[in-house]
Amino acid sequence: MSKPISKSLASAIALMVAVPVALTACGGNNNNSNSGAAATNSAAASNGSGESVTLRFFSNLPDRKSGQGLIEQTVIDNYVKENPNVKIEVEALAEEPFKNKLKAYMASNEPVDVTMVHFGAELGTLVSAGWIEELNPADYEGETYNFLPGVFKGFTFNDKLYGLPRNSDYEVIYYNKKLFADNGIKVPTTLDELFEASKAFRDKGIEPMSMNGKDLWSMAVMYQNIAQRLSGDQNSILDATAGTKKFADDANLLEAAKILKRFADEKVFNTAYMTMDYGASQNLFTQGKAAMWYMGSWEAGMASNESLPQEFRDNLGVIQFPTITGGKGIADDLIAWNGGGYALVKASKHPEEAKKFFDYMMRADQWAKIAWDTGAAVPAQKYELTGNETEVQKQLTDILLNAASTSGMTFNDAGTAAFKDASQNAVGKLLTSGSPEKFIEELQAAADKQ
Amino acid sequence: MHKVLSNKLAIFTFVFPGLAFFLFMFVAPVILSFYYSMTDTIAPGLDVNMVGLSNYTELLFHDERFWLSLRNAILLGLGFVLIQHPICIFFAIMLDRIGGKSEKWFRTIFFIPCVISVVVISRMWLTLLDPTFGMFNKLLSVIGLDSLQHVWLGDPNTALGSLLTILIWSGFGWGLLFYYAGVKGIPEDIYEAARLDGAVGFKLHWKMTIPLLKPVIAVQMTLAIVTALKQMETVYLTTNGGPGDSTQFVAVYLYNQAFAASQYGYANAISILFILVCLLATFVSNKLVKGDSIEY
Repeated sequence: MSKPISKSLASAIALMVAVPVALTACGGNNNNSNSGAAATNSAAASNGSGESVTLRFFSNLPDRKSGQGLIEQTVIDNYVKENPNVKIEVEALAEEPFKNKLKAYMASNEPVDVTMVHFGAELGTLVSAGWIEELNPADYEGETYNFLPGVFKGFTFNDKLYGLPRNSDYEVIYYNKKLFADNGIKVPTTLDELFEASKAFRDKGIEPMSMNGKDLWSMAVMYQNIAQRLSGDQNSILDATAGTKKFADDANLLEAAKILKRFADEKVFNTAYMTMDYGASQNLFTQGKAAMWYMGSWEAGMASNESLPQEFRDNLGVIQFPTITGGKGIADDLIAWNGGGYALVKASKHPEEAKKFFDYMMRADQWAKIAWDTGAAVPAQKYELTGNETEVQKQLTDILLNAASTSGMTFNDAGTAAFKDASQNAVGKLLTSGSPEKFIEELQAAADKQ
Repeated sequence: MHKVLSNKLAIFTFVFPGLAFFLFMFVAPVILSFYYSMTDTIAPGLDVNMVGLSNYTELLFHDERFWLSLRNAILLGLGFVLIQHPICIFFAIMLDRIGGKSEKWFRTIFFIPCVISVVVISRMWLTLLDPTFGMFNKLLSVIGLDSLQHVWLGDPNTALGSLLTILIWSGFGWGLLFYYAGVKGIPEDIYEAARLDGAVGFKLHWKMTIPLLKPVIAVQMTLAIVTALKQMETVYLTTNGGPGDSTQFVAVYLYNQAFAASQYGYANAISILFILVCLLATFVSNKLVKGDSIEY
């Protein structure tokens, strides 16, 4: 009896072992074949035989047909044309999913070759995870790259450079000229005028200012903007974040929180702002349903984006964040930073090929030039005026050239990722249910924890 | 057969796969998670710095957001048990009574929300509840209830309630399906006997159907509470815990701490407490609705 049993037992065991193996093999199939192919590729590449290499590129620009996504794709296409042996696989996700997946890639040490990164806290996490390749700043000096001074700040950790910025970012208010003109409302230059304009728009049934409140960060930047307009001091809030002073030391920070709360109380933001993400808030504005949009210079491309209505593009204007009566900040003070950029990934299977492509992309005649020529963004590198600039580009250039001071960082990105999460959450609470005093306490508690 | 079961190798062979699966897919991750919960690491695979139980003390005694998220999850569980399930039972009985073609029709219609992707449901409700363009507010205005128009998901006072409604709505089909199957399993002759004894209408179902459904109810209650505690996708896709933490749920909070705030060690401490809470909830709900098995 025992013999036949052990025979069937053996086959049972074989089956039990085989099934999971088969299952895992199915699941892991893609990875296995990829890594196998990748390994041969890298070997071929290092032999210099020019055999095909596939690079993985991870981006936060899912729209590859317009705006910054188009620039990115154009640079990639240019490179592939010049280097027919290289194939570049693009994976692009919208902003928030991108950030989440990037962390997952970091955690699993995914062999991406080049990735888009956000400065400050976000990149800081990736760097401390050892996922990002260090760069030599000397490689990027000189005319080939032409970076503007001071733009590496948010990409530098412990005096080491880990990425290169793609844009000069600064917060402005985009506005719809037609909505202002048709309703006889003055384009605001002071905070009081902004509140008046909002009230007038509300009375007409038009949303005054679109805001991506669900993402929280743009309201945090607005808070910094208000605080700067009050104190005239770009560094106060950054010092408090860094812990060299307290948030309560600067009375303007509390006052700014009160003013930001007024934005919500006086219904300056669109009604559903707390559930609106980036895309939804942009749609509200580009469809002419909201008169203003508080957003960064990287949206310059709206003016030349042909998928948007002609009427909207003709009526798109840019203003600086309003000044506050009695405040020390002037309109030319800018909340400016270099937020988006690119970095090389250490886990890359083709580090040399990846760096070649990366260097090519960051050349002044690639991303920077194409970005400016297509009007999609304001680069972090020197660019030449072509004479074909859109009105919006001209206005944005003026704002940047005339800047009396720049912040260099946004406070919510200037600390750790935990600080970013806590401070942005505090902003959300302030606007909906919390008090300004509690808000300052929460910011302090978040800064103390760093 | 008896010989097989007394063969130690055979027993091992039959038990091992299940046991191995349980150990590697459940016990091992929990142990790993417990290990990480005693560290302040910012992501898996990074430098690990042991911090003892400080994550737990922080969580239990200083973290308002955690308790708020737990409270919301429990509220959702109560919402499921006290609102969703009675409605499910009611509809299951109605469906059974209607019979014929319309029974099939309604059964399909009620189950539709369960086959729609969570992303679609979330976007759909965001659109429906949009304060300016949403159908819900428009509808209120049409029937002359303008004063009730509201920023449903954007106001901390109504966000949680609105979200609970969405979740109760979207989970309705599953509950209905289970109860419907339960009702269908009750033999018709028991009803006939009851009718002969004079039980009709509401009384018939209160005294007959509900007690006979008790085993189904017991399982469903436990599932409902665990589902509520684990709720993540719909919240993440609609409010992401906002406005101002008013719709924060444990699973969303855990996720954001781990991946947005890069507090991986801390997030693991949350997940360990989360497991304990789920086990406790399962235990309590099992105790509360201890179904005696009924044979018919």
